[in-house]
Amino acid sequence: MPSSMVGQTPSLTGFLKSLKQNDIENSIELFISLLKRRQIKNSRPCAIATTHLLLRVVAEPKRKWDAQKLIARVRNVGRRLIAAQPREMAVGNIVRRVLGVIREVAERDEDPLTDSEFSGSASPITEEFQRPALPTRFSEFSPLHGAAAMPHNMHSGRPGTADSVSMDLGGTPQRPALLSTNASYAGQGPPGTSLFSILQHPQGRSPVATPPPGTQSPVTGPSPSRRAIGGEIPEKLDIKAEVIDGIKELQDELDVVDNQIAESALDHIHSNEIILTHTSSQTVQKFLLTAARKRKFTLFHAEAYPNNHEATHVTILNGAQGEDDSDERWKPLTSLGITVILIPDSAVFAPMSRINKVILAPHAVLANGSLLAAAGASTIALAAKTHHVPVVVLSGVYKLSPVYPFDTDELIEYGDPSKVVPFEEAEFTDKVDIVNPLYDWVDCDLVDLYITNLGGHAPSYLYRIVADHYRVEDIDLNAKLDAVAKKG
Amino acid sequence: MAPKARKTGEPLEAKETLQAVIIADSYEDRFLPFTLERPRCLLTLANMPLIEYTCEWLASVGVEEVFVCSGNHTDQVETYLNNSRWTKDTSPFSLEVVRSTSTSVGDAMRDLDQKGLMKGDFICVYGDVIANIPFDAALKAHRARREKSKNAIMTMVLREAGDYHRTKDQHHRRCFVIDPETDRCIHYEQVRPRTSPRLNIPEEVLKDHVEIDMREDLIDCGIDIYTPDALAQWSDSFDWKLPRQDFVHGVLQDFETFGRTIHTYIVNEGYAARVNTLRAYDATTKDVVSRWAFPYCPDTNILADQSYQLQKGNLYKEDGVVLARSSTVSHRSVLGKATSIGEGSVITNSIIGRRCVIGRRVRVENAYIWDDARVGDDTVIETAVIANEASIGKKCHVKRGALVSYGVRIADGVTVEENTRITRFKRKRGYDNNEVCQGVTDPKVVGEGGEGFRLDLDEDEEYMYEAMLAGAQELNVTTDGDGISDFESGDEEDEYAHSREPTSRSGSFTSIASDESGETKRDHAKFHREASDSIFDGLQREQDPDHIQLELQAQRLTENAEDNQIRRAVAVAFSRRIANLIEGGRTAKEAVATAILPNQRLIKACVKEAGEQAEFLLFLQTDLVHRAQGSKVLLHVAFVLAGEDMVDGDGLEMWWEDPRSVATEELKKVRAETQPVVDQMAGESEDDDDEEEESDDE
Repeated sequence: MPSSMVGQTPSLTGFLKSLKQNDIENSIELFISLLKRRQIKNSRPCAIATTHLLLRVVAEPKRKWDAQKLIARVRNVGRRLIAAQPREMAVGNIVRRVLGVIREVAERDEDPLTDSEFSGSASPITEEFQRPALPTRFSEFSPLHGAAAMPHNMHSGRPGTADSVSMDLGGTPQRPALLSTNASYAGQGPPGTSLFSILQHPQGRSPVATPPPGTQSPVTGPSPSRRAIGGEIPEKLDIKAEVIDGIKELQDELDVVDNQIAESALDHIHSNEIILTHTSSQTVQKFLLTAARKRKFTLFHAEAYPNNHEATHVTILNGAQGEDDSDERWKPLTSLGITVILIPDSAVFAPMSRINKVILAPHAVLANGSLLAAAGASTIALAAKTHHVPVVVLSGVYKLSPVYPFDTDELIEYGDPSKVVPFEEAEFTDKVDIVNPLYDWVDCDLVDLYITNLGGHAPSYLYRIVADHYRVEDIDLNAKLDAVAKKG
Repeated sequence: MAPKARKTGEPLEAKETLQAVIIADSYEDRFLPFTLERPRCLLTLANMPLIEYTCEWLASVGVEEVFVCSGNHTDQVETYLNNSRWTKDTSPFSLEVVRSTSTSVGDAMRDLDQKGLMKGDFICVYGDVIANIPFDAALKAHRARREKSKNAIMTMVLREAGDYHRTKDQHHRRCFVIDPETDRCIHYEQVRPRTSPRLNIPEEVLKDHVEIDMREDLIDCGIDIYTPDALAQWSDSFDWKLPRQDFVHGVLQDFETFGRTIHTYIVNEGYAARVNTLRAYDATTKDVVSRWAFPYCPDTNILADQSYQLQKGNLYKEDGVVLARSSTVSHRSVLGKATSIGEGSVITNSIIGRRCVIGRRVRVENAYIWDDARVGDDTVIETAVIANEASIGKKCHVKRGALVSYGVRIADGVTVEENTRITRFKRKRGYDNNEVCQGVTDPKVVGEGGEGFRLDLDEDEEYMYEAMLAGAQELNVTTDGDGISDFESGDEEDEYAHSREPTSRSGSFTSIASDESGETKRDHAKFHREASDSIFDGLQREQDPDHIQLELQAQRLTENAEDNQIRRAVAVAFSRRIANLIEGGRTAKEAVATAILPNQRLIKACVKEAGEQAEFLLFLQTDLVHRAQGSKVLLHVAFVLAGEDMVDGDGLEMWWEDPRSVATEELKKVRAETQPVVDQMAGESEDDDDEEEESDDE
């Protein structure tokens, strides 16, 4: 029983506090029900809660993990969390990131050749953006397309048989075909020599960008001298500790993500510009505040009625408040001498011709560069397109999901209609269906630039960041288990 | 339990666990025939049992201990809960089922008080509440008030809903008179349909409060925050049954004396409703499906095994639904797992459970079809409820308002008329609440080869249901607010309901000068029924006679009944019990022996003198007139009574000579067989007397 949540509505803070006392299974169930009841919602709180929960899962006392067991466990927990609220993509993203961390630790562990130099940059967060390891295959990012649908022919030219065995143990029955899908994506596939071999020998490849275990062959390994050093330290890594470190780094990333994004504010916001934004997003506020310290601009703020307008009003008047219930409040933009004009969502078209830049905060960013954002974002993006106003999206990498939007309707959550028409208006509500979509889907061609904590990217480039951060085998958490089940 | 003075210091407050009580039994039979076989809280709404919604809401509020009070169908409730996630280790609260033999909310409350389970303030809800209202503020307000005054014993949480709302109880218009400054409820009344909407507000109320709000736009879904003091109040007044008419009304009336106050907390966001009538069932389902109760919508998949997905137009489908290509399922429908719908069928605005098979060219409109039901080809179903495993044949027509209960089979080509209730089971007459027995199939209703019969209800309930479908707002319903029915014995029940009606009404119009004699008469009738029911019940369960006696005494004191009323009640109860035993296959002699011998003390306590004995026998005789084998029973009773010295010769003689005992032919006939006993006894007693006299003389 969660004893710290006495007589109060459960929330993120309550959940984080209760984590310490509850045992793990209880915490998982509690988080699932909080997700279902929407008592933890929005990307950041979900991401924070997920990292904390997974940290507890990994750090489970009296439990010795070997890598495969740990992967299976985290995957299993992840699956349950995602099933509870599939539209909070941040949960799935974090689960996949953690799985990536584990896999990477496991690989280092199994391959003693990898040396500490690599472990230094072990976390996906700290790595500088480097060349992506492999061409990505969009179509498989969707959970709708199971691994079963992929051809399995990519074991050719891979010497490491031992590795492939371990890979099988890891619940990775077949490494999804690289080239064939690449070919299907590109329309014409170069026969697996030239491009592939180039990609097989990247220099200074980041560990996160490491292709799945099968490619960790001696050929791509470090230099012989390093190998010798590595051979002298056969000691096994403490997987648990390593993974915990990795998760902690993820948590750090979540803490600093807004600041990192805000750092590039001055590159994008110039003096005397007119900016339009939407919703009370913390990230956007921080970004604008950073710019406002140096430059003067005018802000049009669309209020995001009916689901977010109250928060928006508060933000404009009193400054943004942390979403994770902290008391920290930032100064409102107006106190820095910025003119803020509040407009209803329906009015965004009128001022659009004067606006220099639209800044949006997404709920989730999808693999193809499209995004989900608070309802109203689509109107804004379309209006911006008509007037050729650049649309800039500020998003932490944790919001970037490997999911491909096949059915955009499915991704949108519908909320409580009483926000649109009050419950008391019974005679009206009896006769009409009222819908209150919480999110809008904005297609990738309406977005001009993504600013993440790694820097600015074109929407068409996002797939490479996806490939950097998520392991191919983790993208579809359900399919893999089926495959394992079939094997077992 | 003496209400413990709660320490109100902040640190203690924080440690206090939040408790809640779910009243799982409805103590009413508005959902007949479904509630014959299942408790109301396990009926499904949008394919999820009602109690799940309640528990989910309690969990979302942060409750840590839940007690489920249940009277009827306790086993089913317990089995369900034991298999649900609420009793697992991972449950957010600990849950305990409190078994009680309660027949009203009042009984359940008194039971709780006796058991002393409640440590502090607690939330009390019914097992059929669907809510998503935020509760922190209400609790905070309640606690703040408690700190100021210990007399604030209860807070009612009410949802604002405008004048007309489909979810609001249309026919009991509940009026709350509230002092907006302190949120105190100063007067409560229910306006009956078709009576002039006149409130009878006490004078003091108008004098004492500068400003009052009179509100009739509130949905009262029975969510209350109780204090232990309130529980003690329930215990103090053991005739209170209903939380609103009896409890709230009673406490408010006694305000002058005790100064206890009841407060309200009016919510204007979120959703709260109680599924207490079929009409409410209909409205609430619509609300849930159109997401007013968000996040408690089907696609939230609250239960672990659910997999609903939302599609355009509030259409929810679970995995594995099979739709024929030419079938149409349109807006506001819910389809459960593995349900299949045949070619050319049209489903509109309906909820269909799991594993249902809907045939070809079927039309289903606004209907509720629960799990595992089958509907044959070319059938039309309009606004009806088809329960689990029921089967409807081909080319049938189920008209508006029909209720088809569990496992009923309707043969091909049958038309089920409007507002018919078809069931396979009926309640055993005059027996325990839970007992149901299989009824005789009536081919006129279900067709040849069908199974089930028509369940007829009192006029007023019929109206109730019509109300649900027709949506008529002008109702002529006479049952009372939270209408109690304890499912006991048929004929008495009806009278009871009718006689109860005016009394409770006069309770709310206290200052109206009422017809005194009529009132007393009704009071007598009420006492008689209650007392004889309870004695009969005791006899039936073979309770200790002392226990029965005690209960009787309590009833006597509450109603201020006279001795002869008690005798009448006892006589009638015994005669019923005997008749009941004879029906069960005993001979008259055995029956009399079983009924009377262990309970001699009961009779002795109320008949002492000869006059009283005669009266008792007279009551018995009168009652036996219309019972089977009445004369034989009377003979044996007289024999036993005399044999065991409960009645002496004088008593018998007085009875025999009483002109009332030969007033009609029937009475004469009944007592004819008893002649020899009387003769013998009378003779004996005379002899005794003679002897005594003689001895005195000596």
